[in-house]
Amino acid sequence: MNKGNGFWAKLYVVLCFAFFYLPIGVTIFFSFNSSKSLSHFTGFSMRWYEALLKNNDIVQAVYVSVTIAVIATIVSTILGTITAIGLSSTGRVLKDAILTMNDIPILNPDIVTAISWMLLFSSLGFSKGYWTMLLAHIGFCTPFVITSVYPKVRSLDPNLANAAMDLGATPFQAMIKVILPAIKTGIYAGVLLSFTMSFDDFVISYFVTGNGVKNISIIVYNMTKRINPIINALSTIVILVIVVILIVVFATPRIRAKKAAAERKMEKELEEEGALPPSGGVKKHRRLGAGFVIALLGVVLVAGSYSAAKKSASAAGKKQQLRVYNAGEYIDMDLLGRFEEEYGCTVVYETFDSNEMLYTKLLAGDQYDILIPSDYMIERLIKEDYLQPIDWSLISNKDSLNPDVMDKEYDPGNVYSVPYFYGSVGILYDKTLVDKADLSEGWNILMDQKYKGNLYMYDSERDSFMVALKALGYSMNTTDEDQIRQAYDWLIRQRKTMKPIYAGDDVIDNMVSGNKAMAVVYSGDGALIMSENENMDFFEPEQGTNIWYDAMVITKDCQNTELAHDFIDFMLQQDVGEQNTEYIGYTSPVTGVYKKMSQTMFKGIDAYQPRSGYAKDEVFRYQTQDVKKLYAQLWTKVKAQ
Amino acid sequence: MEKIIELKNLTKNYGDQQVLRGINLDIYQNEFLTLLGPSGCGKTTTLRIIAGFEEPSGGQVLFDGVDVSKVPAYKREVNTVFQKYSLFPHMNVFENVAFGLRIKKVDESFITTRVNRMLQMVGLADFGPRDVNLLSGGQQQRVAIARALVNEPKVLLLDEPLGALDAKLRRDMQVELKKMQQEVGITFIFVTHDQEEALTMSDTVVVINEGTIQQIGRPIDIYNEPENRFVAGFIGESNIIDGIMKKDLLVHFDGVDFECVDKGFPENEPVEVVLRPEDIDIVKPEDGKLTGQVTSVTFKGVHYNVMVKTKYRDYMINTTDYWEVGTPVGLTLTPDDIHVMWKTPY
Repeated sequence: MNKGNGFWAKLYVVLCFAFFYLPIGVTIFFSFNSSKSLSHFTGFSMRWYEALLKNNDIVQAVYVSVTIAVIATIVSTILGTITAIGLSSTGRVLKDAILTMNDIPILNPDIVTAISWMLLFSSLGFSKGYWTMLLAHIGFCTPFVITSVYPKVRSLDPNLANAAMDLGATPFQAMIKVILPAIKTGIYAGVLLSFTMSFDDFVISYFVTGNGVKNISIIVYNMTKRINPIINALSTIVILVIVVILIVVFATPRIRAKKAAAERKMEKELEEEGALPPSGGVKKHRRLGAGFVIALLGVVLVAGSYSAAKKSASAAGKKQQLRVYNAGEYIDMDLLGRFEEEYGCTVVYETFDSNEMLYTKLLAGDQYDILIPSDYMIERLIKEDYLQPIDWSLISNKDSLNPDVMDKEYDPGNVYSVPYFYGSVGILYDKTLVDKADLSEGWNILMDQKYKGNLYMYDSERDSFMVALKALGYSMNTTDEDQIRQAYDWLIRQRKTMKPIYAGDDVIDNMVSGNKAMAVVYSGDGALIMSENENMDFFEPEQGTNIWYDAMVITKDCQNTELAHDFIDFMLQQDVGEQNTEYIGYTSPVTGVYKKMSQTMFKGIDAYQPRSGYAKDEVFRYQTQDVKKLYAQLWTKVKAQ
Repeated sequence: MEKIIELKNLTKNYGDQQVLRGINLDIYQNEFLTLLGPSGCGKTTTLRIIAGFEEPSGGQVLFDGVDVSKVPAYKREVNTVFQKYSLFPHMNVFENVAFGLRIKKVDESFITTRVNRMLQMVGLADFGPRDVNLLSGGQQQRVAIARALVNEPKVLLLDEPLGALDAKLRRDMQVELKKMQQEVGITFIFVTHDQEEALTMSDTVVVINEGTIQQIGRPIDIYNEPENRFVAGFIGESNIIDGIMKKDLLVHFDGVDFECVDKGFPENEPVEVVLRPEDIDIVKPEDGKLTGQVTSVTFKGVHYNVMVKTKYRDYMINTTDYWEVGTPVGLTLTPDDIHVMWKTPY
């Protein structure tokens, strides 16, 4: 009976741990994968670790994360501890008020805190970056320190400080030698909380940073936009470091206790012989502890001065600066280095995860020189007067641009924008599973019962409504409520009868592995999948589709328009375009690049050439708030089904 | 004996509340002085002012004739044993005791010798490496005393140090503390609300009530010759009776004249008469100056507590003889048994 219980108990524990550790295990496993796939292991290699070390951006982010976490932890621990000690001898009313106020930032959702900090810094006119991130981290860590230290202080004997001073300790000595050691468990808890909070913070950091300063969380988040197994390598290293720290933290007290016990024993023996005064061991440990703290402070100081030195060095050089704001994982970073070298300037590169994010940042007063948003957002930015016209006389490569991608509705005559990449939305299908004849159904193939439970939809409001509206034969930019509601019904019906899976970028990996018969994908992603899985093919339905453009624009408050034009011109160069396309996989608007790619990397892959000049294809337009709201509401309902 | 501490017209207010209303007190070298009074009387405040944890609102504290009212606690040559000991929880016994010496940066070998000698004195010779949090109340008490005495203060302040101990241990510690005081030969200022403790240990007892000193004196004087109704009532049990001082050595109460040993009152001054229960003798009704009837008898161990109802009042009497309830009895008093006090407004 007992034995049986033991077995089930053990099994339970094993299953629990398997559940906790499986995701970590998978990450570590795939960090050694030799190919880009996140689901197929093609062989052991260290290539992602090499790439990681070569990636200056990541190394820089690790440095930012670590120094900010260490400094924020030290500062907030000092602030919080002093506050907690002060609170213990404050009047009840004031104390209750302060403690309640202290709880508010803790209970506040991160996103609210983040936006508050962002607005504060914007309204104060602070230039966002390392220091704003550090200030925000100190700000949100301190309440946690107070919360963990205060109960410890309150449980102290109120006469403890008096007792120390009675024995001759100055108030400062009483604090250092008695009060702090007596509340050290509370302080340790505060330190641990602060460090972990700061080290993994994403939301707040994301909003308060600027000028290209990124921490690990931001970098990783940006990487997930596209397949990038470097994340696995980075995650594995972080896990490894945590494991080492845990081992040190847990093992050290035990080793120390063992050592101390041995020492005591030895001392006692010596003492009995009259050779040594007792308790010398205690003092040694204290010195060890002090040494550790001093070493830690030293590391922080060195790190701090290193960053300061770097900053002042770049300031001393007085290089020109170009601030570029692009979507995450949407450029080959080597190209930025090359541009910096060729033009003797510094590129401050930042990324956003959605066009709306970019808009929020601009609204908050963040300044950039070059933005690379999508069509409908460009239209909005033009309308709201955020951009300045392109001086085409400065773009020497303008003739290399494919005329098919120019002069679109979002920016007639390309007054403000220069295309960066473009593509369409279509259906990727497995030739071995989908009957070619069925393709004539166009978008309605997504309603074909033959493929029930065997397809991916794209988890995006705009793209899903585009599919539905086009399937119904309407414009995807319709503002007619009746048409929008019909599209909604289409999506609901599809959701009920077809049981599609709504997927994000993971669709790429899944389709490379051939997990489903078809998927709604961007043409660029389609091309990428087809280059990895020859069973796949791509088609753009006859009812028309979305043709999208991402384009480079120059902001109104650009500080170096000449350099900005140089950058745009640089990106249109043949070799630059090729390198970038190889990295991103999307279709280049540069004719020469497009031709070269369709003969090499994407040879025979029709998805690489989005349809052009087809009347039923459309570009997304800027829409009024009311219409956007309606879409958003209906989309939420679709997802809630 | 030399004065070591003088308190001059010490006052202390907390907001509107006056806790000390002018304390004047001289404390001598080598003295075991007890501040005795009910809780809230101001005795602990007085001690904390001497220690330097509180500043007086008015008046002076003199150490060896020098005003130290503004000198911080850590510069005063006194040490304190706190009510709840206030040992440093993160240090072992040895380190707790060594604390004061380490602050003074005394030579390590000197510290070791001194601390060990101190621990030996308080009977904790082998306790050095022990965790203070795991000691019993009595042991913690001893550590606190050792921690204070190791600094060789001129004055040791003890704030109700025995309050947390059980009755038996408390009695043992009373004796031991007294012995220690004689051994180290310094002044002890001891705060307590326990009159028995005060009488047992002290050279001088200072009775305080409502921020004012009621009486200063040797334990025996405080007991036998309380100066007012409060002291009489607070120290021991007594029968307190309104009377009239007819003339020197003659007091009148309950309709009878009694010879007494008190003098110096105006003639026919209304006074209060203190009769300790153990001083009243129960005799046959015909031999007594007062007569009455036994209404209750309670066995108290060494004696019986007998209540006798007379025409004017109930008398409380402690006697070793047993008297049956309902027995008619007489009461007698010798002049020595009667203590006459000025009438107080209580």
